[in-house]
Amino acid sequence: MALVLFSACHQEENTIFTTASITLVSNEAANIGRVQAQAQITNVNTRQTTTTAAFNGATLQVELLRGAYEILIEGVATYTDANGTEHIRQFRAQTDYVELAAMDTNVTTLNMIFLD
Amino acid sequence: MGTSLQTMATEADSALIEHTILAREITADAERNPALHGAAYRSSFSQLALGIDMQHQSEAFVQQLGSGYTLPYAGVDTYLRLSPRTAVWGSASYTTGTQKEVRWNSTSDYELLQPYVLADSLGGDTHRERYAFSGGYATTVGSWLAGAEMLFRAEQEYRDYDPRMRGVVTDLTIRLGAGRQLNSYLLGAAFECNIYRQTNSVTFYSEEGVIPEYQMTGLGTEYSRFSGDKRSLYYDGGGVALLLSATPADHNGMYADLMLGEHRYQRKLAEYNSMPLTTLYSEQAALTLGWRNSQWALFAHADYTKRSGDEQIGGTSDARYFPTIGTLTMYKHQLLDAYLGAFYTQGSLSMMLRGGYQSSNEKYVYPERQLNYSRAYGELKAQWIKATSRQLSLTVNTRAAYEGQLTHKIYMPYANMKSSFIEMVNHTYRYAKANYTHFGANVRSDYHWSNSPYGAFAKLGVDLTLCSVGEHQTTLQGAIGITF
Repeated sequence: MALVLFSACHQEENTIFTTASITLVSNEAANIGRVQAQAQITNVNTRQTTTTAAFNGATLQVELLRGAYEILIEGVATYTDANGTEHIRQFRAQTDYVELAAMDTNVTTLNMIFLD
Repeated sequence: MGTSLQTMATEADSALIEHTILAREITADAERNPALHGAAYRSSFSQLALGIDMQHQSEAFVQQLGSGYTLPYAGVDTYLRLSPRTAVWGSASYTTGTQKEVRWNSTSDYELLQPYVLADSLGGDTHRERYAFSGGYATTVGSWLAGAEMLFRAEQEYRDYDPRMRGVVTDLTIRLGAGRQLNSYLLGAAFECNIYRQTNSVTFYSEEGVIPEYQMTGLGTEYSRFSGDKRSLYYDGGGVALLLSATPADHNGMYADLMLGEHRYQRKLAEYNSMPLTTLYSEQAALTLGWRNSQWALFAHADYTKRSGDEQIGGTSDARYFPTIGTLTMYKHQLLDAYLGAFYTQGSLSMMLRGGYQSSNEKYVYPERQLNYSRAYGELKAQWIKATSRQLSLTVNTRAAYEGQLTHKIYMPYANMKSSFIEMVNHTYRYAKANYTHFGANVRSDYHWSNSPYGAFAKLGVDLTLCSVGEHQTTLQGAIGITF
């Protein structure tokens, strides 16, 4: 009986945060240089929104509560295309659902849609 | 003839005293073991009662429980000693009535399931109806005591105006116990298993619209994604407990009781294919060590409860099926109650004195919220049982207690909270950090017919609690019935 009780004890899940690595990609861009954009990352379960602009190249790293998220990124990016031509264009990247629930780093990519 | 009538009246008196004497509180923990309960009383005692319990608070101390109740009931309790080796017992009761001004809680059994309840800011009075049955059997097999007991409760709570909450509860507990005398000690062990289920919903009939129902997750937080219009859910739960005891067979010496328990309750969304939202875990350990003889008892008791809550992370919907993609332990609540006590009985008078310490540390992990308090308390109970004539006996119980605040702390992200949630959390804190003074008395009069095993009784009790925030609580209990 003591064994039943012992095995029944609750194992707490205290790893509540995770690091999300979100990388912008585009078929038109051979190499993305700088990104100046604001990312709104909304937890679909808690409806809490994290806003950040801390891009390193095309990648954003942010610490979040483990969960499911909506992501909206809007801003300006510089990139070079396949011909080596440099562009500066406005873009939007969005997803209605991405799982960022793993305990270590969650890597995800978002497609950029150019607005002009 | 005269002698037999005297004997009958004396037997009725002694049965009443044996079953209601204050000293029973000392052995109550050990007697949760049905094997020991079956050996606890020498006499049979049964009682049929019609009564009413009423409570009024000038302002709800705990909004989720309401500001009072009016609960008439009818019930029968019986304990029959079939032979020196065997006893059976049982009870059946029906209770119906109203709970006043319940707010921030649309779920039955709040104290069991909190904080994981469905809630709204409006609330109102609720109707309650409860059927409870229990039965047990214990016997002696060789040098062993063996016993089993089953307790069942079915309850529904509902409101007949918007928001129309409804909670339908079934609650089954089974206990199996054993005991054996070893040298001068009676050792007991029992296993308890509980199965709990509640279906819970809120509906609105008014044309004036609906208000949000929140899936509460602790200290003023909610599971936002499934709050609002998701108003149909159910709870599945239960648990196990182990009860160990060692008592001196001649009621003279050291005694000890240990209880270890684990219960869990999962909240599921009925309209999303039973998607689990939260799971509440409650782990409890209680230890009593004491010494007693026929007149005195000295005891120390500690009860530690750890309640923790997991929130299940809902994934994306697929044909109204939501997978769970992870679990977060977000709610943590630790409760401690420890006291030292003494009991003394002399003739018709029994007294019990307790002094203790209580603490409650409640935390929501992220965004961080905390509500902590600790209290010291003292309590004095006295009981006087007197047969004023061969037919009439009187039992008077009195109680005075004081709970004084030692420490208190609240930490809330007020800037990011809705005003209604701030009001609710601050109300909880206001009463958590208050001081309480209690006075209570109840009087029971028993009349035993001269030529019959039957008797009649009437009972009236009053309790008054004064809260340091300037509010008070009055409780009235009245009952009439027959004993046999």
